[in-house]
Amino acid sequence: MAVINFISSLRTPRSFNRAKRRSRTFYAFITPWLLGLIFLTLIPFILGFLTSLTDYDGLNLPTLKFMGLHNYIRAFSDEYVGFSLGRTLIWAALNLPLWMGLSFALALILNQDVKGRGFFRTLYYLPSVVPAVAAVTVWKILLDKNNGLLNGMISIFQPGTAVGWLTTYALQGMTAIAVWSGLGGGMVIFLAGLQNIPDELVEAAKIDGANGWQVFRYITFPLMTPVIFFQLIMGLIGSFQQLVYPLLLATQTGAYVSVPPRSIYLYMIHTYQEIFANQRYGYGTSLLWLLTIGVTALTLVVFWSQKFWVYSGDTPETGGSS
Amino acid sequence: MNTRAKDLLAKRLNRAVSYAILIGVGILVVIPVIWLLLSALKQDSDYMAWPIHFLPMVWRWINYELVFTMTPFIQIALRTAVLGLLFSLGIAITSAMGGYAFSRYQDVKGNSRLFRVIIVLLIVPGIVFLIPQFMVYSYLHLIPNTYWPWILGALVGSPLFIFLYRQFFLGFPKELEEAAELDGCGPFRIFWQIILPNSKPVLATVMIFAFNGIWGDYLTPLLFLSDKMTLLGVKMASAFVDPHGNALRTVSLAATVIYILPLVIVFFFGQKYILKGLITSGLKG
Repeated sequence: MAVINFISSLRTPRSFNRAKRRSRTFYAFITPWLLGLIFLTLIPFILGFLTSLTDYDGLNLPTLKFMGLHNYIRAFSDEYVGFSLGRTLIWAALNLPLWMGLSFALALILNQDVKGRGFFRTLYYLPSVVPAVAAVTVWKILLDKNNGLLNGMISIFQPGTAVGWLTTYALQGMTAIAVWSGLGGGMVIFLAGLQNIPDELVEAAKIDGANGWQVFRYITFPLMTPVIFFQLIMGLIGSFQQLVYPLLLATQTGAYVSVPPRSIYLYMIHTYQEIFANQRYGYGTSLLWLLTIGVTALTLVVFWSQKFWVYSGDTPETGGSS
Repeated sequence: MNTRAKDLLAKRLNRAVSYAILIGVGILVVIPVIWLLLSALKQDSDYMAWPIHFLPMVWRWINYELVFTMTPFIQIALRTAVLGLLFSLGIAITSAMGGYAFSRYQDVKGNSRLFRVIIVLLIVPGIVFLIPQFMVYSYLHLIPNTYWPWILGALVGSPLFIFLYRQFFLGFPKELEEAAELDGCGPFRIFWQIILPNSKPVLATVMIFAFNGIWGDYLTPLLFLSDKMTLLGVKMASAFVDPHGNALRTVSLAATVIYILPLVIVFFFGQKYILKGLITSGLKG
């Protein structure tokens, strides 16, 4: 094959034609995706941006007013934006370390030679296949204030316990749901990373007299930083766009109007409320854009911080771009 | 104590702590599921009782029957399944085309640049596109009474799946295609008759992902579909009601069990493929 390719490459006109043909084939193959990119992604995105510069409310197309950056400026004086952003930050600060720490710990244990590895791995992954709607139902009956299992069990020791795990402590309750659901997915990624660490490295360190903690501190952890970095980025993005859990935990629900408990009134919930409950499409899309800008900036900061803590040797690790 | 005995002790301790964590977390993972299964077998009054009843007073297996006779569960489930199957079949093929092109036509100008767009799309929160799409679709009257958003989605493929396919095809031997090309087989025939039939594992993985995505989706049908057209995810968010409007609580819990069951079954059969596919292609990014 190589020889044929080489010979045909000597004859310029033909290889030129071949390149052209290949280019045409490539674009033919990706035409569906390209059309989708243009019509279902870029155009809605641009229209969304244009909408954010107007006072569009779904009905006022004929009298639409151009507002410039008014919606964006308004966001900074909207007390709910500040409040919901604060709640989102607290949510991320609670959920991310718990989820990452626990799934990393489980992966570390399961990467050792323990009995029942396959069983435990399957067990922990199982909640990940439960859709969010069902996960919330499951936890609702578990954490219910009046007839949930948790309060019921506490009541054995302390009769009359009626803690609002999904109202007063909705943030903690939601974190439990999210960690339960996300544990398996996180663990699988960490396990994959751990399995990429060459055994020889660990063996060599052990021969040199390193104990378990030293192996972790000087070999496993540094080599895992690219995976931790990847998980951190995905987790951050996921936490900031979290909408479905609070929506499903809302106490008052109507067609579009849902008000979750105050402690989980996240940024996306406020955006959702502005768009669907208040029909403020213009203002709502500007909130959406602010979120995108904020998350992008945060992602870039994490990317920049990479050079201080993420290992980038030439071992066959993850994190390299393709 | 000599170092060897110390080592042994440390090893035993390490082992004990490891198992304690594994079993402890295992129990925490399982309790919610067991509680769901138990609650689904109770009577409503039994379920609402305080102090709570840990076990059902009467084991109401009939709850599972009532899901089919008293609620519209099966009808909506079938609708969701049909849409999910067609959607996943479509998106598995269109995404394969994209993934194949990105993996085999790397010499073409624009390939790497467009692939970078895919990577960016993987990172940008999906919700950022969903709401503008909602506005465009509702302006075109494609929502709330048609399934066009899903048809269009299946026709254009998805960045995530294109990415998965590309990683798969990168490790797929080229000899077959080269031989076919020498025999005068065009690129599209190669794709249909050689590539697709030989990529069953990844096709299955993508279809399972896509189907589970539709089956479990809550937000998209909530935003895009009217109540009479809606999908199972939305219906499962609240309890089913009897003709008088009273909530059928435990029957709805039985419905939740039935709702989760297919996903669990598919996971058990496909976990080798899925976990492996996820791990190998997900991390080479």
